[in-house]
Amino acid sequence: MLRKSKRLWGDQAALKSSYDAVIIGGGLHGLAAAYFLARDHGIKNVAVIEKRFLGFGGSGRNTAIVRANQRTQQNVPLYKEALELWPILTKELDYNLMFFNCGNLNLMHSEAAMNTARMNVATAQFHGVESHLIDAKQCKELVPALNISKDITYPIFGAMYHPPGGILRHDAIVWGLAKGAAKHGVHLHQQTEVTGIGVENGKIVSVETDKGRIKTPRVLNAAGGYSAALSYQMLGIKLPISVLTIQAMVTQPLKPILDHVVSSGTYHAYANQTLKGEIATGAHMDAWPNYTTQTTAYYIKHQAEALSEMLPCLRGVKFMRHWGGLADMTPDMAPIMDGNNLIEGYYMDCGWGYFGFKSCAATGKYMAQFISSGNCPEMLKPFNLSRFEQNRLMGETAALVNYTPDN
Amino acid sequence: MKRLENLPTLRIHPEKTLRFEYRKKKLKGLSGDTLASALYANGIRIFSRSLKYHRPRGLYSLDGESSNTCMQVNGIPNVCTETTLLADGMQLEPQNISGSPEWDMKGFMDNLDWAMPAGFYYRSMHKPARIWPIALKQVRKAAGLGKISPDFQMPGRYDEIYPTADVCVIGGGPAGMSAALAAAEQGLRVILLEIRPWLGGFFDYRTADNGNGTSLAQSARQMAQQVEQNASVRVFTHTTVVGVYNNNLVTAFQKGRDGDSFEERYLEIRATSVVVASGCIERPLLFDNNERPGVMQIGCAQRLAHTYGLLPGKQAVFSIGHDLGLEAAVDLSDLGLAVACVADIREDGQDPVLLAALKERDIPFLRGWVATRAQGSKTLNKVTLATKTGTLTKEFACDLLVASAGMTPLTGPLSLAQAKLAYEPYTGFFIPKQLPDKVQVAGRMLGLNSPASIEASGQLAGVIAAADCGKSVEGRLQEARAQLNQLPGPDQGCKLVTAPVQGRKTFICFDEDTTIKNVKQALEMGFDATELIKRFTAAGTGPGQAGIPGHNLPLFVAQYHGDTQATAMPTTMRAPLVGTFIATYAGSNHDMCKRTPVHESQKNAGGIIRRIGVWERARYFSEDLSCREEIENVRQNVGLLDASTLGKFRLWGPDALKALQRVYVSDMSKIADGKVRYSAMCNDDGCIIDDGVVVKKAENDYYFTTSTARAGATVEWLRYHTRYDGWRFHMVNLTDAFGVINMAGPNARKVLGKVTDADVSDAAFPYAGYREFMIQDTIPVRSMRLGFVGELSFELHVPSSYMQTLWDILLDAGKAFGIRHFGLEAQNVLRMEKAHLIIGSESEQRTTLHDVGLGFLWDRNKSDAKTVGAVALKQTENQEDRLKLVGFKMEDPSRTPKDGSLIVDSRIRGHVCIARHSFTLKEPVGLALVDAPLAAEGTRLQIYEDECNGQHLHATVVPTPFYDPEGKQLKM
Repeated sequence: MLRKSKRLWGDQAALKSSYDAVIIGGGLHGLAAAYFLARDHGIKNVAVIEKRFLGFGGSGRNTAIVRANQRTQQNVPLYKEALELWPILTKELDYNLMFFNCGNLNLMHSEAAMNTARMNVATAQFHGVESHLIDAKQCKELVPALNISKDITYPIFGAMYHPPGGILRHDAIVWGLAKGAAKHGVHLHQQTEVTGIGVENGKIVSVETDKGRIKTPRVLNAAGGYSAALSYQMLGIKLPISVLTIQAMVTQPLKPILDHVVSSGTYHAYANQTLKGEIATGAHMDAWPNYTTQTTAYYIKHQAEALSEMLPCLRGVKFMRHWGGLADMTPDMAPIMDGNNLIEGYYMDCGWGYFGFKSCAATGKYMAQFISSGNCPEMLKPFNLSRFEQNRLMGETAALVNYTPDN
Repeated sequence: MKRLENLPTLRIHPEKTLRFEYRKKKLKGLSGDTLASALYANGIRIFSRSLKYHRPRGLYSLDGESSNTCMQVNGIPNVCTETTLLADGMQLEPQNISGSPEWDMKGFMDNLDWAMPAGFYYRSMHKPARIWPIALKQVRKAAGLGKISPDFQMPGRYDEIYPTADVCVIGGGPAGMSAALAAAEQGLRVILLEIRPWLGGFFDYRTADNGNGTSLAQSARQMAQQVEQNASVRVFTHTTVVGVYNNNLVTAFQKGRDGDSFEERYLEIRATSVVVASGCIERPLLFDNNERPGVMQIGCAQRLAHTYGLLPGKQAVFSIGHDLGLEAAVDLSDLGLAVACVADIREDGQDPVLLAALKERDIPFLRGWVATRAQGSKTLNKVTLATKTGTLTKEFACDLLVASAGMTPLTGPLSLAQAKLAYEPYTGFFIPKQLPDKVQVAGRMLGLNSPASIEASGQLAGVIAAADCGKSVEGRLQEARAQLNQLPGPDQGCKLVTAPVQGRKTFICFDEDTTIKNVKQALEMGFDATELIKRFTAAGTGPGQAGIPGHNLPLFVAQYHGDTQATAMPTTMRAPLVGTFIATYAGSNHDMCKRTPVHESQKNAGGIIRRIGVWERARYFSEDLSCREEIENVRQNVGLLDASTLGKFRLWGPDALKALQRVYVSDMSKIADGKVRYSAMCNDDGCIIDDGVVVKKAENDYYFTTSTARAGATVEWLRYHTRYDGWRFHMVNLTDAFGVINMAGPNARKVLGKVTDADVSDAAFPYAGYREFMIQDTIPVRSMRLGFVGELSFELHVPSSYMQTLWDILLDAGKAFGIRHFGLEAQNVLRMEKAHLIIGSESEQRTTLHDVGLGFLWDRNKSDAKTVGAVALKQTENQEDRLKLVGFKMEDPSRTPKDGSLIVDSRIRGHVCIARHSFTLKEPVGLALVDAPLAAEGTRLQIYEDECNGQHLHATVVPTPFYDPEGKQLKM
């Protein structure tokens, strides 16, 4: 171990004046797309342009929960594939992504909520994804710390239990994909800012950066929270995306106490224990659009109040770190994956809100297929941008969501 | 250990002994002791074992910058023994030990560091894949510090307060106190927050002269008295600032002491101006085994002696880079500590008075030397000193090494206030060049060391804060500035980053056992930004909140990159700056729910209450959750439902109608006098978001209801959608001002007739009519004839204060007619039999007005610009492949499908919104949202329930309503 450690994603290459594809955003989606482009489609002359450092945005700020118990049949297969990819990617990248297949419990606090959850459970089962509706007593058996007494604000009626879900180490995936992409020849340019996108005759021709101009016929916008602004400012394409801060926090590390991801939409709280022993917890987005990533006193207090009721033993545990990230929310809480139509060679993988982590690997795989062929794969077709023009929302959320200034 | 006596600085009370247990052993401490000082007094030197390598760890600082001295106290994990006061009967257990702190079975891990380079877990344990689940269990077990039991209950009361102040001063040292007094002098209300149980900061334990013949400790106590006696200054001691947010919102928590009504309380302080005078901690000196028990920082050694009366060792070596180290060497030597040698990293710049004092005491002084290695397998017994290049070395036997590279400003509050830190080359501090608006800074964190300068900087900050608050302070400001300018400025900081070592056992982060070797490995692997190194090596991510590595890590990274200007920035500070109990943040944790005026009487009548949104409502009135009796009683006699949670609004003014036209899909100009109008609101996607009724009470004066869930959002919805129009109208949310009773059933008129003189006959008050009349000549009611549950019904809106009385009157009058309560579930079934929808049950976010079959409400002749959602309604009207709401009956009537079941063929085609066994129709019926091609009457639906193992149920699409399709029951 006295020898020098090897660079994980190779030596820093100089920015070339031309690439076959330029990916904007060195987060999970951008890196995954780059990796699969280079590995599966022979497009190896690829640059990933990252303004800050790899994993600076949502990739390093989410709480790394994965699951495939979404509401609609358009979403479940994609997330299912993503879930199945973690062990495969661990092996392929030769990088331990630390997949902790602990299972997820989504708590329900009324009879009506149990019925709503049944639709998700049935949808999962219909697609061969394990998911069950369990009662409060079964919840308590799985999570002994849970408070199933009747005298809390929202007594627990049961839960949607989804054994195949779990958590990963988000940074490991960023680094593993970076390593894999670099191995296949992708150039990773950190501290490089995209300042413009060149279009001629309706076709992508170049990407301007603060380090120089890149000629390219293909651009993928995978800039996460900044993707809508980028799309509008550089190409004039307005996306129906509201950007909101979403906050999360961790407690000091503890010996194992929580063996599952526990979440509650009603309490606006989820909690899981990372492999470091911290209880990672967070939930709802701020109620107003903003780009700040600043945290609020209200939020951490709310979280403490919710956990005090759901998992009361945690009252004796200390919060340690509270941070914010950006969620780029579409009106139907499903992403926009589209491209090569408004402008030839321009691809979008955005509007992932706070759920971009769960599917990043599978998405990267299909986006790479999309970018290399120019044709949208079946799996991604439902996520087209035009659904919003046609008032055909996807139904990934049942309830009305209010995150635009109109409410 | 015998305590030092008669020191004027002591904060312990030798007359009051406290008993506690450590590892089940009964020990004694003194009142005023922290857990750490009490343990130290009992000879405990090893407080814990480190996370990864199980290295022995002991007292290093006294302000909780690392987790080394955290213990399990009374079942609570990770209690910082350095900052927690001892209380009688406490039970302490050390953490992360296998065996005992002295003999730890995992101590061998320390020799396996070669197998655990930076990020080793990402590169191991996954090949072959099957070992990962096993390794994972071990990883989980090894990680984490304290343990908590799943049935642990946090004892005691946790409180919260929300004070406001003109000026909030963070830090009760000399600078903070000076600032508080200077601001108070200007007639301002000041809040002063101090983390320790007393005011005084760096002065509190020092006997050095303040320049006027008084000791620093003495002058701090005098100033503290002044502050405490100042009526304009509210002092919170033992109060830790944990957050600073937008617009100077400061959050903190205070630990309760004897006699307080709380264990801890959460503070949220809104201040006009904030003065940050949080002072400094010490920058850890990096050398081999720099965290061996026996190695401690200057303040730790000095405070052990002066605050707690504990001489920290017998034979000491000092390796320091700041005058405070020289002062401490002189001071502790005077208290009886043998000082073998003082090595100062600095070549020059020492205070000559202190050098003379060392000489006077024959303490050897080495200029430009530094500790390179601490020795001793468990606790310190020898130190190697070397020149900064490592060419010359000396060894000294000792049991105490006072080691410190210099000062580190506590800039946490500034960072949280969005100040951008920058490297200041003279002091070597990362400190903001520019302060955020209405945030001031004072004291030692500016690099000042002279007591007079520190106080003067505090005064200046206090005066500027007064200016922030709008006080005119010109003269005073100039004076304060001039005074500070005359005094010594900042001290030059010591620049040494690491002693000349390889760094394999040089710990840059104690919590995570990160060595500088690990940091080098990360750098070599391409993790060049400090933030990435933190994530990769975990340095600074432990409970010490980066107190130990915070300053050294960016300096080391800069040095590695050969960057003398230290452009490597510290990692981002995050709230809470100090670990804070979830119990403390939760505070008193009220459940703020709403109850209707007849909540109690419904409960007494056997109502089973459920929390629904913000409301508590009666869902059932018996243990029979099918609600058969409640339902049949409404169909046969008469029932009473508390519908008070409905949103209720008055909208009036010259442009009131325009506003209604904007948000409702129907033509609201057609509301006839004395009639109710049922309509719906859509969003811009044409999706139905609300339904309700509107009545025209007078010209330009409307009263309307919304669904319960929508009540809170309605005023804003109307305001938002009329924001550019400049229309004149007013809105009042009357939801809580009015209660609503829905009296429904064939006998409803008979009951009502008994209690009012008004003519409520069908002729005088027909279906869909609206009337206002008096009940028993006293209670004014607004009554609507509606038919949600499908029977003759009167909805009575009454001022909330009359609600209970009216409720009782109706129950009494209805006795002869079989009146009974019915709850939400009964209503749910009753309205389903009529196929009346509930927003959110039969509609979802994506369903348009057309989809749920209410397209007839939309008046297409209103111009598009007028109605929210009209454009989308037009576009989606004939769109294919949308969902449609349909009614269905089961092929096998013995089986009711569960709500939420799917409608499938080879893929999912819809879902069951609601299905119930209908007692009225004597068979199950239900409503489903299905793909439009499946909506035709007679279509066979395949129902897929959860856990059905491929066994489908079958249903047929039928026309709705199921019950009383002609509506005869409503119109009787």
